[in-house]
Amino acid sequence: MSRDIGLATRLIQAGLLEVSAGIETIENSDLIKLDPELLCQALAKSANPDQALKYLSRMNLDLVKDLDLTAMIFGSSAAFAEHLILYPEDLGVLHLDPPVNAVSLKDQFLTSTSEVDSTAALKRRYRRQVISLAARDLSSKSDFAHTSLELSWIADAVLETALEIAKAELPVEATHAMIAVIAMGKTGAQELNYISDVDVIFVAEPINGVSDEQAMSSATKICSTLMKICSEQTEDGTIWVVDAALRPEGKAGALVRPVASHVSYYQRWAQTWEFQALLKARAAAGDIELGERYCEAIQPFIWDASTRENFVDDTRRMRTRVESTIPDKVQGRELKLGKGGLRDIEFAIQLLQMVHGRSDESLRVPNTLQAISALAAGGYIGRVDATALVQAYTWLRTLEHRIQMQQMQRTHTLPTNEVELRSLGRSMEVLGEPAAGLNQAWEERAIQVRSLHQKLFYQPLLDAVAVLPTNSVRLGTKQALERLTALGYQDAAAALRHIESLTTGSQRRAAIQRTLLPVMLAWWADGPSPDVGLLAFRRLSEALGDTPWYLSSLRDDAQIAQRVATITSGSEFLVDLLLRAPESLALLADDEQLQPRDNAALQAEVDALIDRNIDDPVKSVGALRALRRRELVRTAAAVMLLNQPVDQTGKALTIVNSIVLDAALRVAVKSVEKQIGQSLPTKFAVMALGRFGGGELGFGSDLDVLFVHDPLPGVAETDATPAALAVATELRSLLMAPHPDPAIEIDADLRPEGKKGALVRSLDSYRAYYERWSITWESQALLRVEFGAGDPELMSRFIELVDLVRWPANGLSNEQIRDIRVLKARMESERLPKGADPSTHLKLGKGGLSDIEWAAQLMQLKFGYQHPQLRTTKTIEALQASAELKLISQADCNHLIEAWQNAANIRNALILALGKQQDQIPRDILELKKLSFVLGYPAGEPNLVVENYLKTARRAREVFERIFYDS
Amino acid sequence: MDKQTEYVLRAIEERDIRFVRLWFTDVLGFLKSVAIAPAELESAFSEGIGFDGSAIEGFTRVTESDMVAMPDPSTFQMLPWRGTQQGVARMFCDIKLPDGSPAYADTRQVLKRSLEKAAKMGFTFYTHPEIEFFLFKGDRAEGSTPTPSDNAGFFDHTPQGADNDFRRAAITTLEQMGISVEFSHHEGAPGQQEIDLRYADALTTADNIMTFRLVMKEVALQQDLHASFMPKPFREHPGSGMHTHMSLFEGDANAFYEAGARHSLSKTGKQFIAGLLVHAAEITAVTNQWVNSYKRLTGGGEAPSHVCWGHNNRSALVRVPMYKPDKAQSTRIEYRAFDSAVNPYLAFAVTLAAGLKGIEEGYELPPEAEDDVWSLTDAERRAMGIASLPTSLSEALSLMEKSELVAETLGEHVFDFFLKNKRAEWNDYRQQISEWEYNRYLHH
Repeated sequence: MSRDIGLATRLIQAGLLEVSAGIETIENSDLIKLDPELLCQALAKSANPDQALKYLSRMNLDLVKDLDLTAMIFGSSAAFAEHLILYPEDLGVLHLDPPVNAVSLKDQFLTSTSEVDSTAALKRRYRRQVISLAARDLSSKSDFAHTSLELSWIADAVLETALEIAKAELPVEATHAMIAVIAMGKTGAQELNYISDVDVIFVAEPINGVSDEQAMSSATKICSTLMKICSEQTEDGTIWVVDAALRPEGKAGALVRPVASHVSYYQRWAQTWEFQALLKARAAAGDIELGERYCEAIQPFIWDASTRENFVDDTRRMRTRVESTIPDKVQGRELKLGKGGLRDIEFAIQLLQMVHGRSDESLRVPNTLQAISALAAGGYIGRVDATALVQAYTWLRTLEHRIQMQQMQRTHTLPTNEVELRSLGRSMEVLGEPAAGLNQAWEERAIQVRSLHQKLFYQPLLDAVAVLPTNSVRLGTKQALERLTALGYQDAAAALRHIESLTTGSQRRAAIQRTLLPVMLAWWADGPSPDVGLLAFRRLSEALGDTPWYLSSLRDDAQIAQRVATITSGSEFLVDLLLRAPESLALLADDEQLQPRDNAALQAEVDALIDRNIDDPVKSVGALRALRRRELVRTAAAVMLLNQPVDQTGKALTIVNSIVLDAALRVAVKSVEKQIGQSLPTKFAVMALGRFGGGELGFGSDLDVLFVHDPLPGVAETDATPAALAVATELRSLLMAPHPDPAIEIDADLRPEGKKGALVRSLDSYRAYYERWSITWESQALLRVEFGAGDPELMSRFIELVDLVRWPANGLSNEQIRDIRVLKARMESERLPKGADPSTHLKLGKGGLSDIEWAAQLMQLKFGYQHPQLRTTKTIEALQASAELKLISQADCNHLIEAWQNAANIRNALILALGKQQDQIPRDILELKKLSFVLGYPAGEPNLVVENYLKTARRAREVFERIFYDS
Repeated sequence: MDKQTEYVLRAIEERDIRFVRLWFTDVLGFLKSVAIAPAELESAFSEGIGFDGSAIEGFTRVTESDMVAMPDPSTFQMLPWRGTQQGVARMFCDIKLPDGSPAYADTRQVLKRSLEKAAKMGFTFYTHPEIEFFLFKGDRAEGSTPTPSDNAGFFDHTPQGADNDFRRAAITTLEQMGISVEFSHHEGAPGQQEIDLRYADALTTADNIMTFRLVMKEVALQQDLHASFMPKPFREHPGSGMHTHMSLFEGDANAFYEAGARHSLSKTGKQFIAGLLVHAAEITAVTNQWVNSYKRLTGGGEAPSHVCWGHNNRSALVRVPMYKPDKAQSTRIEYRAFDSAVNPYLAFAVTLAAGLKGIEEGYELPPEAEDDVWSLTDAERRAMGIASLPTSLSEALSLMEKSELVAETLGEHVFDFFLKNKRAEWNDYRQQISEWEYNRYLHH
């Protein structure tokens, strides 16, 4: 009994999970005869003690020479354990001496397979060799670099032997051609996995006297046989799949070609990824002299590839394609293809080799680890980064080896099963609890690799222009230019100058920018115009100088840097505003700051601001305009960075403008009172109309207004009017005077009699006018009258007056309806600017904003008198109310709202992207790219914006024609 | 592609080809061609040939007018009538924008998009057209009717008939261009021919139809004749239709076939037909795009003007041909509305979209029409739920204008251009004063 307790405790200490099952296994097998202490010591060393114990119990223990080593193998690989149980005589391979090199290993293979069933013998020999290597790998006698090298030697030996077997099977054909097997991919680079497809290309030349055709046909037979020997699954198992798909024309192409044919293919047809694949080519088996001739012949193609026209686009596309083909389920656990995975490292290294290997032959090595050393030695990547990269790569590859070894299956996915994770964690010797520790270690590596990527490409560009005296090697100017070009910067020389300027000069700023630029350069490279983004950042940075908060927020807040990169990439409007007052960049620091300001807080700020400057109207309105500019930055940034919906943007802009307008009015009144030496003899108000009245302002909108006043009791209108006019004039000139901050354009053209009419009228005068003269379009404009600024009581009375006009009893007469329709129809043909394309004109085009707004307004005028729900200044609310009242169908309403929002959103985005208001969707490709970037469309298909707009506009137009003209 | 591209370049060298014509099709279905010298071809394959899109009907407007034609090497063929030595070859092109993104105005692209959609559902779309057209003698004097090349009738074999020589020469030329002919005969009207092309995937068939029309015109010219694909040249004779057999394949299996089902037609097949019937009216502007098309469509005879289907019913819009035992692979349906002057890329795209919609939405197939629909009264047809196709281009356009299916399939740009252009055609037509009107009204 006491012995059992002792055993259980020992087994637990050894890491066994199923202890009672373990004890049962021991008691029912020969293991009972072993010293439990020795057994448990051995189990403790294995990655999966339960599995090790299970297999040990099935083993003839008399043959086991080294219990620890056997337990390690059994714990790490079910596949190897099964083999050794089936062929216990192979246990000896655990103690074989390692092979000296590929050649000696080939000899060993050739001698040991010259038996009757040579294919079966080869398969057995292969497995023995791999197990022998795994034993040294697991007992730390072979590191990753050596393990993957030796796996490649084994692959070479298998290929060589299979070729000999194939030749022996086809003795006549064998006399027709010399054949070389070129290893590609990981085999070529001598960094093979335990189990993976072995990529090859076959090269053959006729043996003298044989025709080309005959030779290729015979060689094809032999090579097909070779592939079959290695790939075929028989009762003896399989080795691995030999994949010849990297050959010219892929699977459609001839399996075997002579050197000259390969060359002519690469001269003409190959694509960028094919050249990248050639980096790894190595003569592995067969006629080595011929193989080397091939490798030499294709070298120039690899190294000229980076000068091909589409190199930049191709490589970018290749990378995004790789990322997008991983199923979401495994995305985060893919060692090979996932973000921060092995492919990231390999791709980055290969790209750098191709870009710089053209002028620097020292980079022309197929092996990833060797390439990293060569790149570091040449200054193409930083030494510290190189070391980190080597560590990450080695760790990831080792983990991949351990995962594959378990079943000898070709997998690159980190398992989710707790038991498997635990055993991998034990074998990787991670810190802490094995399963959790492994997950954590993987995540850390992935993050590290992702950021390394940027450091690898961009960091050395900074070193190239560094003035710091440094004795370490660094990237030369020529190399820096070729790299910038490869990354998509069109004017590489200018870009390098910007980088130089940003990373030299004032100590602290330069230091911070040095750490930031590598990642920002990458972000710009992914944007619509890398050159523009970098230049804009340089200008901003110079404008900000050494402002402490700027430097510290850039340094400490990764998000702000990314946001600055997005804005500089995409928005001329924002860059322009920021250049005038760079301190607004602080708003980007957190999302909270990007939300519209609370109404009351804004009002309080404005009040304080004019109180301080009340005696200087120019100064106080200047301050108001600065405040408005800051709010424009906030709102624009929210659109770009947080995709703020267009309704919210309209609301935010309207609030800011009304508060500023109201404050400016107070300043104007004060200023006029000062001039006339008395308090204003009349009440004064500014009514909001149009988009201002509707709360739908965009970044480029004017403020549509009406000026109204009402003389104080006892004051004659003739005395009051000049004072009111003075206020309106003062207000406009203050808001529109030249100033570093954007002007507020005040538009009073909707007043009675338009531009010819008086700028300011008294309430009575408005009443008289609307009672006598009002025409239908004026009622329509008045639909959107809303409080603007000034005397609240006067504004209320103005609204009461207007209500009589806009909600006439019994709605519209047939004649009035006809007038509105005719006017709209005429506008469609006349108002559109010359050369404009009606299908993509956001405001006046078919299905554009004007169609939708007129449709809503006609309904309001017709039915507003009956239905208070329709009495709103907002287009969307009017449409929703019409649907609720069943004046239009819900489907029609949705089409109109969707189209209105889409058009308004594009209009705002156009200003943000191009810095100027325009109503036409641009035709220029670069402008379209910027527009789609701001709108957040996927890169690469700029026309999607247009197509999408045309769709919503078409539907809206169909509804509009039906409900506006027909009903 | 690579092997094919190399083959093309080698062929050009070996056959001493002097010009390569790059073909593409405008929105209305007219063949356009840019000739380049062989020396330019290699760069044409990698970068395309730039041209000013504003010169082509329907190509401008989306973005700036620069466009690039990218030749598709798998469509390389010699033009046999230009001789085999120092000859001329052609390839069809895809139209792209300078940055490599596809041009929305390219109708070949429209069909490719529809085919991709089918591919995502696991289908390949095969078509096999029976193309009818007329051969005329000499030039037509204004105000007169054209003179047919002969006065023979359906399947007639005329003794020293020019049309026999014509068909022999025409078929030989087609075969030389890699277009297999299934069947050919004299059609019902004087001078009318029918040539059936072997079935192929829809993109190849559409390319073949474009080639076919040119070949017929070339061969006719060699015999002092004139080939016309006008839908309805004579009031009293049948017009030129392009009845098209269609099938969907899932891998190697015909998705329309189901052993033991009625007409051996699978559920997929039935739903595909249902889709065609539901959307037939709204796609008619595309499948019958000319003013003249509607004179064929509403002119009786074998022209299908009623939306129904039938088994071997030659008056139905969709016909399910007799199933031949042991020919599961050839199970298909026949859509009979197309006329020979159609843009095949757009027509295949909209019919495929309609059929797929039927499958996606699981439309119910209405009962089969067993009578000759033409002989029914309006009331009978109404009672049976048989609708009519639009009777004029104008009506067809009004229906198309409201069609999400057509807009989705053509893309907004082509959709918009097509409607505008066709409205203009209709307006122009309405202003004509016809011979018929003079005869009838002049003496009022």
